[in-house]
Amino acid sequence: MDLDFSPEQLLFRDEVRTWLAENAPSEPRPHGAAPMREYDLAWQRTQWEGGWAGIAWPTEYGGRGLTTLQQLIWYEEYARKGMPSIDACFVGLNHAGPTLITRASEEQKAHHLPRILRGEVVWCQGFSEPEAGSDLASLATRGEIDGDDIVVTGQKVWTSFADLADHQELLVRTDRSDRKHHGITWVIADMHSPGIDVRPIETIDGGAEFCEVFYDEVRIPLANVVGEVDKGWAVAMSTLSFERGTAYTAGQVRLAALVENLIELARERTGPDGRRPAIADDEISRRLATCRAEVASLRAMTYAGICRNLASDAPGPEGSIIKLYYSDIAKQVARLAMDVLGPDGLEFVSRWVPGGWSGHYFYSYSASIGGGTSEIQRNIIGDRVLGLPR
Amino acid sequence: MDLLPSADQQELVAAAAEFFAEQVPISAVRERRADPAAIAPKVWAEGALLGLLGLAADVAVGGSGRPLDDEALLFRELGRALVPGPFLGSVIGARLAALSGAADLAGFVIEGHTLVAPALLRVDDDVATVADGVLTGRIRLLDPAGAEYALVVTDDGAGLVATAALTDLAPVESSDPGTRMGTARAEAVPVTCWVPATQDPIALRGAVLAAAQLVGIAEATRDLSTAHAKTRIQFGRPIGVNQAIKHRCADMAVSAEAALQQTLFAAVSLRSGRADAEFQVRAAKVVAGRAAITNAAETIQVHGGMGYTYEHDAHLYLKRAHVVDQLFGSRTAQLAPLLAQEAAQ
Repeated sequence: MDLDFSPEQLLFRDEVRTWLAENAPSEPRPHGAAPMREYDLAWQRTQWEGGWAGIAWPTEYGGRGLTTLQQLIWYEEYARKGMPSIDACFVGLNHAGPTLITRASEEQKAHHLPRILRGEVVWCQGFSEPEAGSDLASLATRGEIDGDDIVVTGQKVWTSFADLADHQELLVRTDRSDRKHHGITWVIADMHSPGIDVRPIETIDGGAEFCEVFYDEVRIPLANVVGEVDKGWAVAMSTLSFERGTAYTAGQVRLAALVENLIELARERTGPDGRRPAIADDEISRRLATCRAEVASLRAMTYAGICRNLASDAPGPEGSIIKLYYSDIAKQVARLAMDVLGPDGLEFVSRWVPGGWSGHYFYSYSASIGGGTSEIQRNIIGDRVLGLPR
Repeated sequence: MDLLPSADQQELVAAAAEFFAEQVPISAVRERRADPAAIAPKVWAEGALLGLLGLAADVAVGGSGRPLDDEALLFRELGRALVPGPFLGSVIGARLAALSGAADLAGFVIEGHTLVAPALLRVDDDVATVADGVLTGRIRLLDPAGAEYALVVTDDGAGLVATAALTDLAPVESSDPGTRMGTARAEAVPVTCWVPATQDPIALRGAVLAAAQLVGIAEATRDLSTAHAKTRIQFGRPIGVNQAIKHRCADMAVSAEAALQQTLFAAVSLRSGRADAEFQVRAAKVVAGRAAITNAAETIQVHGGMGYTYEHDAHLYLKRAHVVDQLFGSRTAQLAPLLAQEAAQ
């Protein structure tokens, strides 16, 4: 066992650091959804031009063809620099992209992957429905095959950036016989198609990107099906294991940086007794130290996960362990920030503004819901990691 | 970078696990309840012959010269199999002897002839101190039977005291049936083989091995609970179908995994002299201590009435977890120094 990076990897880290120092956007990330889209895409384009997009993606689709270890180095340096998260590009880079790489046809890969990397398109996810949340396989949005098209009618919900997205990874029911996991199809929807109606949903953190999506006889070419018709469940499961596995690497690195920022804040701010700094308070200091220990172990788990990943291609159900642990810690850290701030935390400050701890606190409630609730992660760990009876 | 145990390491650990399963089954803890030593002297000698006490010690003093991560993997097995006996005290004791030039003593410990019992420097409200090379005050000894030396650890360093020089030696009943306990008084007893913390981070090394032992306990209890959840039938179905049980087991899996990976990360950090090694080790002791105690406690609950009996193993894991938690800084004692560290590298 060792924690040493090779000379090539160290050189790679130096290159990342130098490039970020010279190219990181200096203007703050805007708040509104549309300017946010432009900002995120422009920054993605800059990364592409610098040769930093798709570090672990295959070279034939525009990636660098390196490993998740170099990807980790990128994330670490990125977080160290305090760079913005890549919200509008998240689904394209972390779900749709990896899913297409493992499951799509050559034509689909050649068309979509470079566009994602070049920052030309925003993707969104169309999985959840009003009656199909944790029980995703009960989804009922209909896909009728008519000639060369699938005609889609129904509704999706909790779709981030649907109003700004160009493409959607969409799950529809193409076979309504009783077999629940059979008859689901994973298809790429063009969000500009006639018959799609997007309505925004306001969230508890003041976020502007959440939406519900209505489909009224939307025609999608059969050529957009990824995998086979009726066999999209397996494709969706690989999407979700990417979401729960490697996609959390960046979040983990950001969370560790957040804990250090919070310790800094607790040294500067007056604590609950109104006299001493917050860090002098016994309970706050213990919780800060505990958060430090937890994010350290989250990082060790991520490193070990990457080592396992290098040995096998696709993430397994173990990703749920990291996802569950990450969600718990993320919420604890955010709540601790509120306690460090005391009465000042009552003032709402968006998470996109420096010092936006209160906005971040409300946002943290999404951590144990999005990407499969913590309860569902516990089911997956119980069933598929521990082999408990269903 | 590689955090996965190598094939070589797995093989080595498997051999140790096999030895423990054959020679020190958990039932032996109950059978030896009335014996002065928790582990049979014959088994201790055989374990020493197998190289269990000198895995990471220098070849020059009779060790195998393997890295700290190998030793951590061994201590994980000691925890998992609930092996009794002063392994931690003796392994660290041998290192102190080797570092301070007492090669003969190191060799005797590694060969299993000389035992080193860990000491806790607090009895009731009496805190023992080391000053000017002597130990003064009351101490608590773990597994003192046949131990020639006691291991004394302070913030400034660590050393050994001869048990023969202690007075008022009295056995006390231990909570853990697998750990014997006694109290004693030290009246200016000389500390030998003293190694200052500035010379070698011996307390951190001990904390890594203790954390590894706690990892083993967290994993074993996760497995006990999972196995019970699969086979115990109530209301016509295995209890593991219920989320109240299934989710408890899932949480145990998360705690055990976090503890394992952080402990291995810490072991490699300390071995390779990373600048944030102290941060990583203290973090490991916190998460491993919590994982072991919580998982063992949950195991009692998952087993219901059976888990509350002396006959079941659950309480043995819980009690051992509390003992190991107290060694080299408890999970509570680690928090303040952890927060005082620079940020991780």
